[in-house]
Order: sequence, then structure tokens, then C-alpha cells
Amino acid sequence: MTSAPAPLPKAPHVAGRILDAQLHLMDRQVLDHDGVPVTTVDDLEVSGPALDVEIARGTPPPVITALLTGSVLGTRIFGGRPPSSRLIRIPWKDVAEVGVVVRLGVKGEPLDASWVERWVRDKIIARIPGGRHDPR
Amino acid sequence: MILGDLLGTPVLDADGGRLGRVADVRFVLDGAPHQLMAEPRLLGLVVGPHSAASFMGYERNGLTRPYMIARILRWRHRGSFLVLWEDVAMVGARSVRLRPGFSRYSTALEDGAEA
Repeated sequence: MTSAPAPLPKAPHVAGRILDAQLHLMDRQVLDHDGVPVTTVDDLEVSGPALDVEIARGTPPPVITALLTGSVLGTRIFGGRPPSSRLIRIPWKDVAEVGVVVRLGVKGEPLDASWVERWVRDKIIARIPGGRHDPR
Repeated sequence: MILGDLLGTPVLDADGGRLGRVADVRFVLDGAPHQLMAEPRLLGLVVGPHSAASFMGYERNGLTRPYMIARILRWRHRGSFLVLWEDVAMVGARSVRLRPGFSRYSTALEDGAEA
């Protein structure tokens, strides 16, 4: 058994709140501003850096531009990820709060992320007798 | 780029020596302000020498319960460190290379105890 290594120095203090992608964002549920579930965060899109290009000193750090979602069940099981064009983006400017869930500051209804739900409602549920009004 | 591609990528030092894999990516909410929240700016990479990914973050917060799970996961993620964005020389499809003389920092989150 080896002795424990010396503790590492603390990272320089930063003013803003810290978010670890995997710990605080990935796989979190996304709710719209009425508290209605929209989707989950399957991945994140960042503004850089370019792959296999040397990063010059002083390059501004990349930022998160969008939350990504889509049909990822298959790739979760078998590996890889869907092509970027098949992922649905929720721009970061729509995000209002990150906590146990990610809250959006906009309504979920018009977002691309909920198109499957809208399609099922309009094409299938609405054709079932009684499917066009609230249950009583 | 898509962040999921970066997670699990091997991290090499300037001489090509293997240090571990990208276990997580740390952001700080102090970028350009938007109407609702500021833009999260990439602060650094959490590198895990022994595991491809981090699980539940026990090595980054001060939690010690449930005791056995905390012990096992801390042991599994032992030696994890944070490298700041300034110390990243190149992000490639297969590896991330750091600058010569990069600094290792503790991965502890500010509201957690020393990991």
C-alpha cells in the first residue's frame, strides 16, 4: 500500500456558478416555464474548439450554445451517437434555471424537441373517440 | 463540437504520456449575459486516471454517505484532477493534448469538501 499523494491545490476562484457537464446537466429532465416536461438533456453543443487544431494561447474558451436531445436509445445501448443533423437543439438562451431539473424560460409546445408528442396527440389520440377533450 | 465526443477521450501530456481520460467538463456561468442566464464558459477538464467516466461525482463533493458506495466510488476515481482551459494545447478526435508544464488542480466543487 502506497502513502496517499499530497492534496492538489484548489482551482483559482471564479465568480460564476460552477456546472460540471456530466454531473449537473447531462441526463437531467427539461421542464418548460409551466413545469411541463419537454425532454431530457442527452448531450451538449459547445462553440469550439476545432478538432485537431493547435489552440493558441489566449484563445477564448468555448461556451455551451445548445442542449441536444433526440432518439439516443439505440446509441446508448450500442455506442456512438446519432449524426449531429439528427439531434434537436434547445438554445442555451432559452434556459432559465439549472437545478435538479433544467427549466426553460419558454413554452415547450412550439419547441422541436416535443414534436413526437404533438404528432401522437394530433394523429393518433385525437382520432380515438373522446380523445379531443379533457377526461371527465 | 458535441461535448459527448470529448467525454472519455484519452488525455496526453505534452510528451505524449497518458494521464487518463476526460471524465467531465467543467463550465462556469460567467460568459456573455443573456436574458435568462449567462453563457457557460468552459473552465477546464476533469481528468480521471483510472476510469473513462465519472459516476455520481463523489470525488468532487464532500458526501460520505452511503459509506460503502462513497468509499468505493472515491477509490475508483482516485487521482482525478482538473486542468484549466489555458493548459489545453489541442483537442483531437482521439486524444486531448495538454501544454508543457500544465497545472493539476483539485476537482473539488466549491460547495463540497476537499476530495
